[in-house]
Amino acid sequence: MEHSKQTQYSSNEKKDTGDGGSVLNGHFDGMVKRPAGGTARAAAAPQAPGAESGSHRAATSVMESWKEERTRSVEDNEMSLPSLAAAYTTILRGLGEDPQRQGLLKTPWRAATAMQFFTKGYQEKIIDVLNDAIFDEDHDEMVIVKDIDMFSMCEHHLVPIFGRVHIGYLPNKRVLGLSKLARIVEIYSRRLQVQERLTKQIAVAITEALQPTGVGVVIEATHMCMVMRGVQKMNSKTVTSTMLGVFREDPKTRDEFLTLIRS
Amino acid sequence: MAILTPLSQQFTTGFVPLYPAASFTDSRARMEYHHTSEMNGVVADYHSMCNEPERNGLCREEKHSEDAADSNNLCHIEKAYSTILSELGEDVDREGLLRTPLRAAKAMQFLTKGYKETTQDILNDAIFDENHEEMVIVKDIDLFSLCEHHLVPFYGKAHIAYLPNKKVVGLSKLARIVEIYSRRLQVQERLTKQIASAISEALEPAGVAVVIEAAHMCMVMRGVQKMNASTVTSVMLGRFHDDPEVRKEFLALTMKK
Repeated sequence: MEHSKQTQYSSNEKKDTGDGGSVLNGHFDGMVKRPAGGTARAAAAPQAPGAESGSHRAATSVMESWKEERTRSVEDNEMSLPSLAAAYTTILRGLGEDPQRQGLLKTPWRAATAMQFFTKGYQEKIIDVLNDAIFDEDHDEMVIVKDIDMFSMCEHHLVPIFGRVHIGYLPNKRVLGLSKLARIVEIYSRRLQVQERLTKQIAVAITEALQPTGVGVVIEATHMCMVMRGVQKMNSKTVTSTMLGVFREDPKTRDEFLTLIRS
Repeated sequence: MAILTPLSQQFTTGFVPLYPAASFTDSRARMEYHHTSEMNGVVADYHSMCNEPERNGLCREEKHSEDAADSNNLCHIEKAYSTILSELGEDVDREGLLRTPLRAAKAMQFLTKGYKETTQDILNDAIFDENHEEMVIVKDIDLFSLCEHHLVPFYGKAHIAYLPNKKVVGLSKLARIVEIYSRRLQVQERLTKQIASAISEALEPAGVAVVIEAAHMCMVMRGVQKMNASTVTSVMLGRFHDDPEVRKEFLALTMKK
């Protein structure tokens, strides 16, 4: 039973449809790919706050996100460049532009490379980024890294989202290299995203890597799909947060975190 | 018809004369400033043809075929976006991406809607005779455009000033002119010049000044990744170009923080 579940997951990696895990933009975080079988699936599927399940399955799921497969490699990038460029040429024509005019001659290639850069999170794995930067340190006070600039792409309109991420965690004997928090943000934000999911993925990744006492992630971002088009509200910002562990349970800890990120 | 000068030469401030004589004898040329409109917007010419009175009878047919062409285009763009999503390594069948190609295609059409609009359409009835010769400034006009090199947005503010010569224009029309030219695949230098030219053609004022400061996502989100860099371009025509005091007054009134 377990074995067949494993193979089912690995063969369905790219075409993950319909279940709770597929909401997580094509990638398996520790939450879905779990050998613990039926109950785990049931817990992940109805979109239970991956939060809690993240923190108590810590031991087994630590290995899961580290085994996360990439859906894309550098070679894939080179191979898909011509068809991406052709698609962009079609788009330019469809918009009424002349792809042969001087300013647009190499635009399909540039736009294709740019789009690949904006989705480079698909090529990266948490394990590569974190592997050696976890240190044993007897520190149990809050660690916050705030104002991390974040750039993502809205998965609904393919238009940029940009903003800031604030991360706080309460270490439990293990601390993480500070830039690694920013690198985790990069991996998950450089994808086609929904802000809610992005916040959760970052929180879960940190939980899985460090098993801290608690993690809090707050993202405030501007969505160009709302600013440049549609409802066109220039100054609106969207704020999402994920609080795990003691950040969720203890209001004072949460308050401290929120006060410190605001100052 | 004025001769096309090489791109590099066209963007020096003040190089463009206020009334390039040759091109304005032709009424069709009045609708778009041809030097720069040939730089982007083949569709613009098609639409300006529709405005000529002797072709009115043909216009309705052209409109129908234009709508059909539009939805045809939408279809092609949508398919192109589906290809892009799958080539990027995403799963096109997941719930969040199911209608993304259509949404992205419509979004892109909205972001380039300026190709279908002409200054003639929006300015025609909002020019008034007014005995005012002092500077009129509309500043902090939010502007959103698309970089023609990377198809990534750039956004910022435009500040426009003009010295009326017996004719003033409705204030929102200045913002609408910005919209027409910015909702295209653009280069910031050209955008600034097109706005300035459109105003000078329409109003024949004593001077026009346009300053745009924008952040380019192609520089912020990728490439050199400088978060706080902003690009400022300006075009000064007529008295703004010739008279340093006038220019100073404009800059003092718009650029203070």
